[in-house]
Amino acid sequence: MHPFEHIAIALGQMGLIVLLAPFTTGFIQKLKARLQCRTGASVWQPYRDLVKLLRKGTVQSDSASAIFRAVPVLVLAATLTAAALVPVVVVRQAPAGALPLGDAILLLSLLALARFLSAVGALDAGGAFGGMGASREMTVGVLVEPVLMLVVFSVAVSTGTTDLGELAARRGLAPLSLHAPDLLALFAMLVLLLAETGRIPVDNPDTHLELTMLHEGMLLEHSGPGLACLVLATHIKQLVVMALVAAVFFPAGMTASLAPVDLALALLVFAGKALLLAVFLALVESSYAKLRFFRLPQFLGVGFLTAFLALALRIL
Amino acid sequence: MTPALGLGVMAACFAAGALACLMARWAPRSAVVIGHLGVLAGAIAGGGVALALLIGGPVEPLRIALPELFPFARMSLAVDGLSAFFLLVVSVVAASAALYGPAYLRAAEPHKSAASSAAHVFALNAFVGSMALLCCAGDALSFLLFWEVMTLASYALVVAETRSDENARAGLLYIVMAHIGTALILFVFLTLTERGHGFDFSAMRTGAAALSPAWRSALFFLGLTGFAAKAGVVPLHVWLPYAHPAAPSHVSALMSGVMLKVALYGIFRTGFDLLAPPSGPLPASWGWTVLLAGTVSAVIGVLYALQQHDLKRLLAFHSVENVGIILMGAGIAMLLADRGRAASPLATLALAAALLHCLNHATFKGLLFLGAGGVLCRTHVRNMEELGGLARRMPWTAWLFLLGAVAISALPPLNGFVSEWMTFQALVLGGGKLGGASGLFSVLAASMLALTGGLAAACFVKAFGATFLGRPRSRHAEAAREVPLSMLGGMLVLAIACVVLGVLPGFAMLLLERPTAQLLGGPGASQLVTVHGPLVLTGGEPGGALATSISVTAVAGLFAGFALLVWLVRAWPRRAGRRLEPTWTCGMAPTSRFDFTATAFAKSLRLIFAMLYRPHRKVERETGDNPYVVKRLHYGGDIVDVAEMNLYRRLQHLVTTLSTAVRDRSTGRIHGYIGFVLGTLLVVLILYGRG
Repeated sequence: MHPFEHIAIALGQMGLIVLLAPFTTGFIQKLKARLQCRTGASVWQPYRDLVKLLRKGTVQSDSASAIFRAVPVLVLAATLTAAALVPVVVVRQAPAGALPLGDAILLLSLLALARFLSAVGALDAGGAFGGMGASREMTVGVLVEPVLMLVVFSVAVSTGTTDLGELAARRGLAPLSLHAPDLLALFAMLVLLLAETGRIPVDNPDTHLELTMLHEGMLLEHSGPGLACLVLATHIKQLVVMALVAAVFFPAGMTASLAPVDLALALLVFAGKALLLAVFLALVESSYAKLRFFRLPQFLGVGFLTAFLALALRIL
Repeated sequence: MTPALGLGVMAACFAAGALACLMARWAPRSAVVIGHLGVLAGAIAGGGVALALLIGGPVEPLRIALPELFPFARMSLAVDGLSAFFLLVVSVVAASAALYGPAYLRAAEPHKSAASSAAHVFALNAFVGSMALLCCAGDALSFLLFWEVMTLASYALVVAETRSDENARAGLLYIVMAHIGTALILFVFLTLTERGHGFDFSAMRTGAAALSPAWRSALFFLGLTGFAAKAGVVPLHVWLPYAHPAAPSHVSALMSGVMLKVALYGIFRTGFDLLAPPSGPLPASWGWTVLLAGTVSAVIGVLYALQQHDLKRLLAFHSVENVGIILMGAGIAMLLADRGRAASPLATLALAAALLHCLNHATFKGLLFLGAGGVLCRTHVRNMEELGGLARRMPWTAWLFLLGAVAISALPPLNGFVSEWMTFQALVLGGGKLGGASGLFSVLAASMLALTGGLAAACFVKAFGATFLGRPRSRHAEAAREVPLSMLGGMLVLAIACVVLGVLPGFAMLLLERPTAQLLGGPGASQLVTVHGPLVLTGGEPGGALATSISVTAVAGLFAGFALLVWLVRAWPRRAGRRLEPTWTCGMAPTSRFDFTATAFAKSLRLIFAMLYRPHRKVERETGDNPYVVKRLHYGGDIVDVAEMNLYRRLQHLVTTLSTAVRDRSTGRIHGYIGFVLGTLLVVLILYGRG
């Protein structure tokens, strides 16, 4: 196998995530609307929004610096790089001489880079809302990141690697394992999924009202193509985190061959997994209220505790 | 030029630079410039020697006999892999600080007196020179001599900046803590020289080989405490956030970026070399203690950094954090190390991570301190609540500071990420291998490292945002302008180092080959970590079951490519262009008071970690006749340092009580004292007279 084929596969999977990401958001919105007895916008609405934003001009705060202009580009680039690292349909060992792509720590750090840069951009316009959103988003990041790492570590300790492709390959592409550590880690991961995708009860993606805003508050001052970059990055991040959950906990269905039939089958399986997680998100969003911000440490503490238990069961 | 000659040239440059203080009386400015040139030339010579020894030089350590100053000991320099690596760390930061220094001093203190210029030039050269030579010391006596010169020179630099009470107190605290540490190190070294019948390090090794395990561990913990007091490990860190910011900024960069590393060099030297048992694993208690101290320092350091409003003090607290991260790597390396047999690849990975983080922290912390110095010399304000809006006024400084902030937050694709990734791998894979309580502890430490990274990111969003973004919140910030070229040059050197070490870390492994192979035996870092070529980093056992590989280079390339692509898509010409409008502030005229302040930014984390901070706030309302109309609102808030409150206050109380008791017994009458002397003599005779 040619060393560059490896990178081509990664880029192909990234393209897939970019194409499907707005649909996932549209699907969740539609499902939420139906659950709330509304008709809701079409599932294609996120694509229309992106196209509209890309065509528009930009209104920028007159007190912002060049950093503000660079932030949307860098955030989207970091998120795209993260998307290139997560296995979606193809999982195969890196051939000798290829540059390995797919480390979980690197992936989470790239998402952290995107979060860092968005927060920096939010502070530049000099409005209180952006600052508040940035402060809260970084706080949630502080609480989520160590737990997310702990979940990944609890799996890595037993398989001996944090590379997502290797990890999936070594777990033998088995369907969901029913060992206690896996189930506990999965539970912790689902708690974190709500936080990482910015959904109720942690954040509310539908509003940037003062009381609820985390992520949306940071986007408030951006407009036009810059906003399109940030919104697309949000969609992609959501699907990347879902793909991460799928790769770590249900690697079944991914293929090692590049034959079109296998690929199509694997794609279908991935779509099934993503839709399952999307249904989970929509159900939780429709049935819970948003938590008060200072109750979040307790909510995420549950995730930390279960992840720690999973790890302890694994090691001791 | 042979390395020995290079070291001679380096020492001569520092000496010449120090002598430049003599001309300060007639030409203070030239004295400052020549003094800094001495540092620059010395650093370049030292860096060249270090690189030559690390990459191409002989495996045997380079030995140079020094002139015999004392009748009882021969002094010598012995430069092995570890020494050369730390010499490189010293040189990199010293060179950029020397580039930066003269313009900074002119801008920050235009009316510096001739005497104070002379003192600065002399102390700076003595400081850098003693640090460089300390890393090369080959015997206990020269080590301790250079150690003392380093302490005194840095003390002079701390207190000489301004004659304020605050600086004097910071200096006093620093010198007391440093000397308590020195006393402990002195005890350890003298015990070893006494056992080994010689001051030379090789004699000390033979002395240590005969020690019983209990003595060995006791000496290690004493030495660890001594070096930790200098390295700013929690709870011995209290002096650091006062002393480092008090010095001129390029000296702060040297103190935080380099002097702490010299103390860590002491820990590496005693733990892995001088005191390490000749064969078998290191005692588990060493690894546990170092790992625990590292974890606590990392988390506590960054949590306190988050609540600082003084830019330089915030950076100083981050040094506590990064020393903790380095110790985490050293601790897991101690737990996994097994001397004499084939070295564990994970131990080598952990040690390489710790050493690489020493170099990385020196570069990005140096860069950040130099950036903070740029802000300080243009605004003369250290409180970030009074800054803001500098990104438009000092764009170069802002971008370079942002680069340093991304690097210190351990975010890819810069160098902080690389060493933290290696530490993560060592902790997780090593934890899996150790199993049991040690394994659980080390993986938990890995998750605390992730917490540290998250907190550091939050802290630097706050620091960067409050200082550089938004609108200026004082007229000092309003009037700021870009710093001179030579200062930017100093920062640029370190920024390039951050990028290169981050994107091409495989080449840094070449530098780590000698030190790791020498301290742990077996193949060194470049044969293990870069086994798949220089562009791929492998953590774990190459070819074994425990391994992860990444290519930071490829990821950085992808990132750059995507950024270019997205930029092009966005820059595509559109009918509607770009308009500049004021920020919407709910209909009011936007002023800088709408900006989110640093205090407000850190508030949510302050409340979440209130158990540690014990924050208190004071709000005073001034109302007129109508209680509902508030005329003026005063807000004050503060947090406490738990170590300072619980440990040092109690210690201080104890010492005060004891001293008062002693004073009460000291009557001033001579026969009373004669009685004390007689009593003491009696006790001593009873204790030792029987033998």
